[in-house]
Amino acid sequence: MAIITATKTPDRAAPLGERSVIGWIHKNLFSSWFNAILTLLTGYLVFITVTGVFNWGFTDATFVAENRRACYDNSLTGACWAGVIDWLDNIFYGRYPRDQIWRINVGAVLLVLWMAPLWMGRVKGKVLVGTGVVVFYPFLAGYLFSGGDKGLFMQVMVSGAIVALIANTANMLTGVLWGEFLPDFVLRVLGKSTAPDKTQRNILLALLFVVFTAVFVWQLSWTVEFVSWTKWGGLFLTMVISGIGIASSLPGGILLALGRRSKLTVVRVLCVAFIEVFRSVPLITVLFMATTMFPLFMPEGFVLNKLVQVIIAVILFNACYMAETVRAGLQAIPKGQYEAAHTIGLGYWRTTGLIIMPQALKHMIPNIVGSFIGLLKDTTLVSIIGLFDILGMLRSISKDMPWLGLHKEPLIFGAFLFFVLCFSMSKYSRHLEVKLSAGDQH
Amino acid sequence: MTDAVPQTETNRARPKESFDFFHDERVRSVFYQLLTAGTFGWLIWYLISNTAHNLDVRGMKTGFGFLSTSAGFDVDFKLINHTPGVGTYGRIFLLGALNTLFVSFLAILISTGLGFFIGVLRLSNNWLVSKVALAFVEIFRNTPLLIQIVFWYIGVFSLLPAVKKTIDLSLGAEMMLLNNRGLYLATPIMGGLFWLTLVALGAALVVVVMLRRRARKLQERTGQQIKTLVPSLALMFLLPSAVFVLTGMPLSWDMPTLQGFNFAGGTSVPPAFLALLVSLSIYHAAQIAEAVRAGILSVNKGQHEAALSIGLKPGRIMSMVVIPQAMPAVVPPMISQWMNTVKNSSLAVAIGYADIVSLFMQTTLNQIGHAVELVGMTMAFYMFISLSISGLLNIYNKRVQLVER
Repeated sequence: MAIITATKTPDRAAPLGERSVIGWIHKNLFSSWFNAILTLLTGYLVFITVTGVFNWGFTDATFVAENRRACYDNSLTGACWAGVIDWLDNIFYGRYPRDQIWRINVGAVLLVLWMAPLWMGRVKGKVLVGTGVVVFYPFLAGYLFSGGDKGLFMQVMVSGAIVALIANTANMLTGVLWGEFLPDFVLRVLGKSTAPDKTQRNILLALLFVVFTAVFVWQLSWTVEFVSWTKWGGLFLTMVISGIGIASSLPGGILLALGRRSKLTVVRVLCVAFIEVFRSVPLITVLFMATTMFPLFMPEGFVLNKLVQVIIAVILFNACYMAETVRAGLQAIPKGQYEAAHTIGLGYWRTTGLIIMPQALKHMIPNIVGSFIGLLKDTTLVSIIGLFDILGMLRSISKDMPWLGLHKEPLIFGAFLFFVLCFSMSKYSRHLEVKLSAGDQH
Repeated sequence: MTDAVPQTETNRARPKESFDFFHDERVRSVFYQLLTAGTFGWLIWYLISNTAHNLDVRGMKTGFGFLSTSAGFDVDFKLINHTPGVGTYGRIFLLGALNTLFVSFLAILISTGLGFFIGVLRLSNNWLVSKVALAFVEIFRNTPLLIQIVFWYIGVFSLLPAVKKTIDLSLGAEMMLLNNRGLYLATPIMGGLFWLTLVALGAALVVVVMLRRRARKLQERTGQQIKTLVPSLALMFLLPSAVFVLTGMPLSWDMPTLQGFNFAGGTSVPPAFLALLVSLSIYHAAQIAEAVRAGILSVNKGQHEAALSIGLKPGRIMSMVVIPQAMPAVVPPMISQWMNTVKNSSLAVAIGYADIVSLFMQTTLNQIGHAVELVGMTMAFYMFISLSISGLLNIYNKRVQLVER
C-alpha cells in the first residue's frame, strides 16, 4: 500500500466547458432556456441592425457623384457619402485658404513630434518636455495658423518655440539612441562631463544663446501669409478651442482647487463661489454670456473678437470642472506627506509644488483625459453661437446647392469621427489608470 | 539643589515669542486676504463701471421693468396659456422655465429607468446581451450630445411621413398620431364622478404598500415568504376599474382630427420636443448605466455568495441584498446625471424647442436687449435648480451615512 508513487499522476484535463468552443458557447450563451431565447432574440436584433446599417452605409451607398440627385439616381436606399467626401476639406479645415492648408498639417505634425517623447521609455526629462509643449507650442502654432506680421514679442516667442522644438527633438534622439539626457550628452561630446557645475552651466547657456541667435536671425526672414480667424473652421477650430481650453484650464483649475482648500477665508469663499456658480449653469449660457456681456465689460473701444470671447468662456467654464478634478486628486494624498514636508521645513508653495502636486497630478491624469473628452464633445456648442466648427460645417453641407437637404450622412460622419477620437482616448485613459495604480504602494 | 522645586509644564517659563511683523503668520494671512478681497472688489467695480458706461453710450436702459411689458411673439409649446401681445416677458420666463423642467423631468424618468435596465444587462451572464449593452453605452457616451440631438431632430423626427400619411401608434384607435409635425395625443376629459376612480387608485396604492410592509416584516421575523406581486398588481388594476365602471365610465377623449392641412384637438407635441426628449434620455441612460454597473460591482462578491448559500432566489438576491448595498454608490453619480440632464436640456436652443435659454436668452434678448438682466435671470434659474438637486443629494448622503456603521 504505497501511497506515494514514484511517478507523477497525469493531470486531469480541464472540464469540457472551460476549454472548448462549444463549452464556452454553452456556458455564456445557452446556459438555460431563458438565456437561449434571450441570445436568439438579441442575435436576431443585432443581425438586422448590422446588416441594415452595412447595406445602407456601404453596399448601397454612393461614394462618387456630382450632386444629391445623382446619388438618388444611383441608389435610393443607400447613403450619399459623395456629399461628405466633396466637403471633406471643409469638415477638417473650414474655409482656411486651400493653398495654405499645409500650415495646419505642419502644426499638427509638430505637435505630435513634440509630444512623442512623452511616450518613449528611454527619453529623459519628461517634465521639461511637457512644460515645453504647454509654454512654447501655442506661440509657434498660433503664428503658423494666423500668420501676418510678427511683433517683437511674437518674434522672441516664436524663436524660443523653435529652439525648444530643436532641443526637444535632439533630446528625443539622444534618449532613444543612447538613453541620455540632452545636456549630459552635449557635455560628454565636448569632454566636459567632469568639469565643475558652473563651467557646465556656462557652456550650456552659451550654446543655447548661439542657437537662439541663429534661429532669431533666421525667423526674421520667415513669414507666412495672414489668415483671419473668421476663415478658421471645421475640426481644426474644434481642436484649437478645446486644446487651448484644456491647456489653460489646468493651471486655472489648480489655482482654484488650492484656493478652495486654503486656510484664508476670503480666498476660500471666493473660489468656492466661483467654482459653484460656473458648475451649476450650462455651458451654452456661459457662451451666450460671453458673446453678449463681454463686450459690455470691456473699456470703450476695446473689442474682443468672437473666437477670443468663446475661448475665454470655455476656459472659465472648464477651469471650474478641472478644479474639482484637482481637488479630488489632492484629497487622495495622505496627510503624512504634508506633515513630512513641514518637518523638513518646506513652506506652503514648496510643499505644494515639490511634494503634493507631482503625486496628485499622477493620479489625476486619467481624469484630465476624461475632461478633455468632455470638452471636445462640448466644443460642438460653439456652432450654436455662429462659429463654423465641425458641427457648423457638417450642418452647412445641407445648405450647399448641390447637396441641398443632405442632413443624415454628414451628422453620422461627424458622430463617427468623434466616436473614434473619444473612444480611443477613453480606452487609453483606462489603460493609464491601470498602469499608474499598478505602481502604487498603498 | 535639594530645595529646587521640580519644574513642571505650568511653571516653566514660556520661550519669549518674538513678534516679527513681516514673518508672522497671522499678519500674512490678514494681508493676503485683504489683498484678494481688494483685487476682487476692484475687478468687480471695474467691470460694473465699464458696463454702466457702455450701456450709457449705447443708450440702453437697465432694470427689470421689461418683465411686465407684453411680449409680441408666440411660443409653439406651452404648459400655461400665453397670448402674444398680452402675455408679459415675465410670463415668457415662467413658460421657458416650465418647459425646461418638463422635458428634463420626463428625460430623467426615462433615462433612470433605461439606465438601470442597461446597467443590469451589462452584468448579464449572457455574453451577447452584455456586449450589446456595452456597445449601446460606448456609442452614446462617446458622441457629442448636440450631434445626437440634431440628428434625432433633422434625421429622424423631421423625416417622418407628412400629415396625410400619419403613423398611428395606437394601432388604429387614432389616439397617438405621429407625423413630421409632431406627436398628437388624445386628451382625456374627466367627467363629474371621475375623482372617485382616482380615490380608488389611491386607496389601492395605500393597501399595497401596507401589504408589502407586512410581508417584509413577516419574512424578517419568521423567514416565511409571501408572494405579493400578483395580488398587488391585481388590486391596483381591479379596484380602480371596478369603481370606474360602477360610476358609469365618466371619461371622454378629445381626439386629434384632421382639419385641412393639420390636426386639431387633442394635445400636440412638436418634433423638437420629441427629439430633445429621446436624445437626452438615451445619452443620460448610457451614463447612468455605467454608474449602476460600477455600483453593483462595488458590492462585495461574498454578499452574493452568502445570499445564494442561504437559499435566496436570484431575483431576491438582487432586490434584497445586492441593490440595497449598491445604492449608496449608485445614487450620487445618478443624481449628478440628473443635474446634467437639466443643464443639457439647454441644448434645445439648437433645434428651437422653447426652453428657457431659447426663449429668454435668444428670442427675448434679440427683441429687447437687457443682456445683463436676461443672462443673470437665466443663470440664476439654473443655479436654483442645481442647488435644489444638490440639496437632495446631501439629504440622501446624510441618511445613508446614518445607516452605515
